[in-house]
Amino acid sequence: MSLLQLYFAEWRALLADKAIVVTLFGGVVFYSVLYPLPYLNQVPTEQTVVVVDHDNSSLSRKLIRHADASPKIQIVSHATNIDEAKHLIQQGHAHGLLVIPSGFRRNLMLGKGATLSYGGDASYFLIYSAVAEGLVEAGMDASKQVQLVGLLARGENPAMAQKSLSPVNLNAVPVFNPSLGYTPYVVPGLFLLILHQTLLIGTGILGAGQWRNKGYWLEVKPLKLLSVRLAMFTSLYLLFASFYIGYCFYAYQVSMLGSFIETVLLILPFLLATGAVGVALSCLFVRRDIPTQIYLLSSMPILFVAGFVWPTALIPEPLVVISQIIPAIPAMNAMLKLNQMGAGWSAILSHWIQLWGIFALACLLAWWGIKHRQSEAESINQ
Amino acid sequence: MSIIAYVKQEWAALWQSPWQVALVSYIPIVSILCLWWLFSAGLPKQLPVAVVDQDNSQISRMLTRQMTANSVISVESYADLTQAQDAMRQASVYAVVVIPHQFKQQLITGRSPTIDIRYNSQYLLVGKLLSSQIQMSLGAGLLKTAAQKLLLSGVNHASVAVNLSPVSSQTTALFNRNNNYVGFLVPPVLIALWQLLAMMIFTNALNRELITQQNQVLLPHDLWVRVLAKCMVFLPIMLLHSSFILVLLYQYLSLPHAGEVGVLVVSQAVMLLALWLLVTLIFLIMKEPARCVSFCTALFAPAFAFMGITFPINEMPTIAQYWRLVMPSSHYIDTHVNVISYGADPLEVIGQLVSYWMFLPLIPVVVVLWLKANKTPLSAENTNFSSRAIQQITEEDK
Repeated sequence: MSLLQLYFAEWRALLADKAIVVTLFGGVVFYSVLYPLPYLNQVPTEQTVVVVDHDNSSLSRKLIRHADASPKIQIVSHATNIDEAKHLIQQGHAHGLLVIPSGFRRNLMLGKGATLSYGGDASYFLIYSAVAEGLVEAGMDASKQVQLVGLLARGENPAMAQKSLSPVNLNAVPVFNPSLGYTPYVVPGLFLLILHQTLLIGTGILGAGQWRNKGYWLEVKPLKLLSVRLAMFTSLYLLFASFYIGYCFYAYQVSMLGSFIETVLLILPFLLATGAVGVALSCLFVRRDIPTQIYLLSSMPILFVAGFVWPTALIPEPLVVISQIIPAIPAMNAMLKLNQMGAGWSAILSHWIQLWGIFALACLLAWWGIKHRQSEAESINQ
Repeated sequence: MSIIAYVKQEWAALWQSPWQVALVSYIPIVSILCLWWLFSAGLPKQLPVAVVDQDNSQISRMLTRQMTANSVISVESYADLTQAQDAMRQASVYAVVVIPHQFKQQLITGRSPTIDIRYNSQYLLVGKLLSSQIQMSLGAGLLKTAAQKLLLSGVNHASVAVNLSPVSSQTTALFNRNNNYVGFLVPPVLIALWQLLAMMIFTNALNRELITQQNQVLLPHDLWVRVLAKCMVFLPIMLLHSSFILVLLYQYLSLPHAGEVGVLVVSQAVMLLALWLLVTLIFLIMKEPARCVSFCTALFAPAFAFMGITFPINEMPTIAQYWRLVMPSSHYIDTHVNVISYGADPLEVIGQLVSYWMFLPLIPVVVVLWLKANKTPLSAENTNFSSRAIQQITEEDK
């Protein structure tokens, strides 16, 4: 069998297997829509807050109006006491709470100071942070206005008064994901993981279905089979990767700071290493329904150990060390640095070399595994 | 054959398949413990932040010390801004704070200098946390300087604090006081994992019933009894695992819980039945082991994203809110939050089970699919078939 014939035979074997076609083509397209679907609105806005106003003064009403004007908050109801507010939160009608104490305005005007209480439902962190940020902003605003009135009353000139209110400007700006959006946060890493997992499943099912049956895969040399199989999967996945990184990133407004050449240079060892790991592991399977299950179970741990959902510094060291043999881990980290944070090639060189290292090791194991499977099949046939 | 016999047969078949045994025994326990271990730090702390102090004055050093005192921040000093930028791009620091040249001079002479904070929002969770913590630490530091200034300008000591911030605020994280990530993220993650395991176990058990005769896929004529027997075998096993999750989180780690945890098991049982109804439907449509597993995987793998814990439900697009309802785990997690956070009583939990009504219309669909499917003739001895199936499995496993 020539290399080209073998290449096309591999394609035929792949396309003839409905389970692989469903997982690869179906899965890749389906997930590209389904996974980012919940996050399309990017940032939580207009979180529901219930107000307990014990003061009922002009200032407290102004404060409530200002809070309601914040894009993060929507005042949904007024409760007469905290118990009632608590009930509303438990019923799910509101996620936040603002309590204005009685005598709020009077105390402020007398220069005594007052305390506002904010509460947010911390069962949902994004809701909590939106509620807290919105209410703190509104509270600070009210505070500034009272201070300004006080200063002006004491005869300070308005320009000086403004300055002494904020002696230092804190200019906090988010970088790399300026909108603080959820899709640019999740999509870059997640999509690489989807490519990784489907590629592993594809190679796994293909291998599991073949080892016990007769076919060209038992006749060609292990090295030849391995290289042609890698070529086939890599050419298919270059297509998928182009769709994900070329089109989907663009559609989901994920930033792409790396150049085309750099991205391709990174994707290539990622696909090769993943393919090789897939072929190596496929030698362990003989039932076609097992690979999908094993790789599915591994998806969530791989996603969380990658370090962009939960910082690597807080993950136990042994887990981080073990995870380094998974091609998706260096690939996701390198991809984030290259494309989302605009780091140069030198920053991801270590990840790149690591990917090639995994590739070399996995090739060795895959070669040995195929050889083992072939000799096993031969001994059964004799 | 009585139902007891079917249950016994199912139990025996379970032990015939090493993969199924692994799925019901050590795989759940190992993965539950691993996922918990991953998040076990609970509270983010000592996250590296680059401080570029171009002023090197007494005030700028005081501000740096203020940040060092914050448990979330671990200050790394950089002399050069470009180096700090590079470190940021390589994700070795998560934020950069720049205290500008002549900061103190500007402050004393009554101009408003600007402290620049850049935080990495690609790591959304870390970035947001650091942004608020850095501002809090710097704010506290600057308050001291402002207080001195006020005292110097003749404000009496008693009114300094009020002058500085007339409105003080008290922010409370309801239901999860210290913003613990174990309490927030680990329960939904583990429930998602548990749902996947339950899905796989049931799919595998169903796939075992497929009989191939002369290139034709047949179903045993008593499939519905067998499905019932499977539920009776796997329901207690899966509930054992979910109870392990509950005991680990709310007894061993003693995470705060407002309501009675035990009542959640009822909700979990209903969730499992809804899930298995869906799986049976897919099985009757697919009738091929690998395809059935692939399809179920595609359906249930993203369940975590749709739970609405990490991203609020009311912010999801309408179509995502509908898709969410297809996942039994989303129905369960609502009950879970209600019990754990809001202390819902058992009666409310039972009331919430009504939300599973949308799975009921699946039952007639399943029945129709079952009636239309090719079945083995009634005369055939079912024990014969099942023993053949077991034989087939054991051969495959070898």
